[in-house]
Amino acid sequence: MENAAIFGWALLWIICWGALGGVVTPRIYARKDLEISQASFGGAVIGAALGPFSLLPLWVATPKITNRLIGIAIAIVVGIFIAAFALADPDNLCVANGGFVISQLANGIVIGIIYGLMALGLTLIFSILGVVSFAHGEFYMIGGMVTYFISAKWLPGVSPLVAILASCIVTFAIGYLFERIFLRPMGSGEIERPTEYAILVTFGLAFFLQYFTQALTSAVPVKAQRFFPFPRAELPADSGALLKMTPGNVTIFDAVSIPNPRFTAAVLALLMLAALLWFLYRTWVGKALRAVSQDRQAAAVTGINPDSMNSLAFSMGAMLAGLSGASLVQVFSWLPQVGIPAAARSFVIIVLGGMGSLPGAFLGGLIVGLVEAAGTGCIPDATRAAAYIPAYGMVILTLVLLLKPTGLFGREL
Amino acid sequence: MNPTALFRVAGAAAVVILLLIPLASSELGGLGPLVLSGYVMHLAITAFFYAILASSWSLLAGYAGQFSFGHMAFMAIGGYTSGLIGKFIRFTTAPSELCTDIPLFGSWWLVVLNIRRVGTIDESCLDMAKTETLPAGTLIVFPPVWASIAMGLVMGATFGLLVGWLVLRLRSTYLALFTIGFSEILRASISAEIPITEGQSGLELVPLFPAGLLGFSSTSKIPPYYAMLLLFLVAMAMMTWLAGSRFGLFIRAIREDEEAAAALGVNIVRYKVLVFVITSTLAAAAGALQGHYIGIITPNTLIILQMSLVIAMAVIGGLENIYTASVGAIVITFMLELLRTNITIGPLHIDMTLWRLVFFGLLLMLTLRFQRNGLLYPILERISRGGVAAETVSIRAAPDEDEVDVEDEEHPPSGPDENADAEAVNDHAESDR
Amino acid sequence: MLNLTANNIFKNFGGLEVLKDVSFTVEGPELIGLIGPNGAGKTTLTNILDGALKPSSGTVYMNGERIDTRPPYGVARAGLGRTFQVTRAFRRMTVLENLLIPAMAMRATARQRDFEKKAQDVLEFLTIAHLRNEYARALSGGQQKLLELGRLLMLDPQMIILDEPFAGVHPRLMEVIYRYITETNAQGKAFIIISHDMDTIFTLSRRLLVLNYGDLIADGDPAVVREDPLVKAAYLGEDEE
Ligand SMILES: Nc1ncnc2c1ncn2[C@@H]1O[C@H](COP(=O)(O)OP(=O)(O)OP(=O)(O)O)[C@@H](O)[C@H]1O
Ligand SMILES: [Mg+2]
Repeated sequence: MENAAIFGWALLWIICWGALGGVVTPRIYARKDLEISQASFGGAVIGAALGPFSLLPLWVATPKITNRLIGIAIAIVVGIFIAAFALADPDNLCVANGGFVISQLANGIVIGIIYGLMALGLTLIFSILGVVSFAHGEFYMIGGMVTYFISAKWLPGVSPLVAILASCIVTFAIGYLFERIFLRPMGSGEIERPTEYAILVTFGLAFFLQYFTQALTSAVPVKAQRFFPFPRAELPADSGALLKMTPGNVTIFDAVSIPNPRFTAAVLALLMLAALLWFLYRTWVGKALRAVSQDRQAAAVTGINPDSMNSLAFSMGAMLAGLSGASLVQVFSWLPQVGIPAAARSFVIIVLGGMGSLPGAFLGGLIVGLVEAAGTGCIPDATRAAAYIPAYGMVILTLVLLLKPTGLFGREL
Repeated sequence: MNPTALFRVAGAAAVVILLLIPLASSELGGLGPLVLSGYVMHLAITAFFYAILASSWSLLAGYAGQFSFGHMAFMAIGGYTSGLIGKFIRFTTAPSELCTDIPLFGSWWLVVLNIRRVGTIDESCLDMAKTETLPAGTLIVFPPVWASIAMGLVMGATFGLLVGWLVLRLRSTYLALFTIGFSEILRASISAEIPITEGQSGLELVPLFPAGLLGFSSTSKIPPYYAMLLLFLVAMAMMTWLAGSRFGLFIRAIREDEEAAAALGVNIVRYKVLVFVITSTLAAAAGALQGHYIGIITPNTLIILQMSLVIAMAVIGGLENIYTASVGAIVITFMLELLRTNITIGPLHIDMTLWRLVFFGLLLMLTLRFQRNGLLYPILERISRGGVAAETVSIRAAPDEDEVDVEDEEHPPSGPDENADAEAVNDHAESDR
Repeated sequence: MLNLTANNIFKNFGGLEVLKDVSFTVEGPELIGLIGPNGAGKTTLTNILDGALKPSSGTVYMNGERIDTRPPYGVARAGLGRTFQVTRAFRRMTVLENLLIPAMAMRATARQRDFEKKAQDVLEFLTIAHLRNEYARALSGGQQKLLELGRLLMLDPQMIILDEPFAGVHPRLMEVIYRYITETNAQGKAFIIISHDMDTIFTLSRRLLVLNYGDLIADGDPAVVREDPLVKAAYLGEDEE
């Protein structure tokens, strides 16, 4: 970076005014006997946006802090952030090269869709069982492992779809068994302090599954072949200016380039998402599931068996994680530990989207995918940037928990 | 023997045995047939390290109900603080001119070394100063290990205060997520800031006793054994006292029901923050000591699996008691080592170094499911509370307690001497106001 | 002399107005009943007096000090104790420990054994002395209610708010609670008792507050309040006849 100082000062400005706004605004609103549930968060983003120029009017006029106001403020903050970055490092690919930016955006969205799918599983579990599964990353890992072993080792040559299906079945079954043995007793009051129990026991499951896989597969990284290589094609036929496909890559308009594995993974994720939506909104069982997530007692009265809904939700959540893993095993190299950062990312996403909110999880996945793409693509010092990538999400997580624990779409706690 | 006396005797015996164990080490020739190798001594030190972590986590999670996954982060903060001080701080008798010099008392200076960039041949400013600016005969002194460890504790306490204050409003699952986030951020920062922390290759720390101690060399296991044992015993003594005092009473009340505790006058903010400060200080102390003993600390100590190990030890021993948690940690440390022997049954070859952790994870889940309070705690409970039910029944059966005389409005429930007691209530109520 | 003043308390949850301009004063060791239909805002009012909730607007003073800005433990230390509608014993602590907590919390330098005698007296007064070393979770629902009352004696506040102390208790236990209230009141502690048990509340209390969906519609002598047409229409009419 050439003028790193500009960026540093902009960041400092955002953080300091944001902190001041977050701390002072609720006090002022409280003194005026106004609604303060949004004041801390709203004050923080409004302060971060324009510093004293927005905070003073806010404190004098104390308008009702609406979501619209917050949205505008967030947009300004992001704008300042981007502008400062562009000023600080005008030669950066992200600033100078439009094609590169669009490529990064496209890749961010593509990977964000898969993150979203995995987080959907977690949020589905939370909305029905009220439990955050700390073993979610291990289901993701197992999904990938099963797919790899079937398509590369046990049944080479079989259609990757079969392998993916098998990984869904395996993760669904493990999830089902675990739920039956370890989580079902929570509902019957047999287990005291269920929240703590659920945290610890899913944690134990993560530990178990990870070492179990490691004992079976050893710790050598594996990576599956491309599932569905593109056909070679060019549009228009001679120049390929509109669309150019090679087995490993697709380039649109000569600018946006998406690797084949990511593309197929995203398509798989979208298909699965469509199937999930159809299931939740069009089938009786799906409707029952949503009814339980809204009001357990009421649903139980109408004849839905909440216990079997729990089993179903947990195993489906596990299966969604497994499916994300299965579609990504051709993108990343796979180890028994790959689940840990993936799970951490899902935590970030569901907290950001609002715990238990399905659209929130999907949107959160897109946001995190974009942020990561920007992080990898734009930060000059590559090794350092790579080491910090898990931290970006965690910074989002801690900030959301401190400022707005309900996330984007969460219900009141 | 009544339970309290029994526990005292057992505790004293355990302390004596732990103090005497080094006599049986191979370094001292062993005790008759019993010769403990340096490896066993190393295991014992590690076991104490985990025992401090597990028991302090049990104070945090089991007593105060704050299920934090950031305990290993505080451990690492202790270790890294102490290591970084050893790496970057020197005391000299003359200003170096090339580094950051801070005057201390007399002719002494505190010198902060420069951060050397990776992959360049930046020299240490002090090395250059030695040949250029420093007068001959200048003393250059490393910071004493105890002082850097003490700074580790201070940092642990500071971060404990910060985190404790930040998480005041967060409950259970949210707290767990937040602390995982905290520890991951720390891990990423340590891995990324290679010029400062050495990243994945790990920060080297000077030995606990660089010049040896009492004739033992700096690589001997015996001084570190006593150092870690001392920390363990001090930590246990302190936590025992805390758990038995108002602190223990209040944090357990907070675990049970925060609102009810507050309605009864318990300053929940103070005690929640305090329990974070205390337990993180203990974790930091253990981390700093272990770092100096091992000689290196890497960001991998922060990974979530290390944290699960501590959690598993505390849970399998018994989360709600610092003693069962620490005994659980010691037993499991040794068990995990014993289980390293590979098994070969016919053609089947089982690599136990991998499978032992699988069994361990299974044990953790099964303990949680079927023996929620851990495998040791119920024994303790039976010894210490075995008499309670009988006592309840016997008091209830006593004739003067038996009948609640509801017809008689004037007199409190029973027997003649009860009247005096009821008046005593009045007296207290009067005098306390 | 105790003085508790609530001035123009409003409380909204989102759009729902749960309390609308509630004002009243308690002077000295009064014995006050607070009634109102389900959802009238009684528990909410308790939470506001106790500091667990902040009013949307309005103030609460106790003995001249403003308490609505204090956290609940500050209010408890100022001399206001309360029970919860759903019993909240510290379940994994012994009965004795349950009692020691408020006593210790009130006095920074005290030690546990200073209060053991007093705790014993309180337990005997409440007829649960034989359970002192049992875990609170081993107690029956009624015994847990007694335990909550005992904790308040240990807290030794000037004013006590009981949220439905008579709900779900056997007549015999009712006597114990009844006696608790009258005797403690006689020692100079003020009471606000929330109850749906009309007979008990009319015989017990010497002043009655009636909340009706956020409005304080009556405040005065129970006999007078009973005849108040507003109260009759809003509440008693549908409940009694
Ligand atoms: N935290 C809250 N958020 C939203 N609404 C609330 C909350 N607490 C209470 N309410 C609403 O406020 C109203 C009054 O509740 P409150 O508990 O004070 O009634 P109550 O008089 O104690 O009733 P009951 O006799 O049934 O105990 C109810 O409509 C309730 O739904
Ligand atoms: Mg109520």
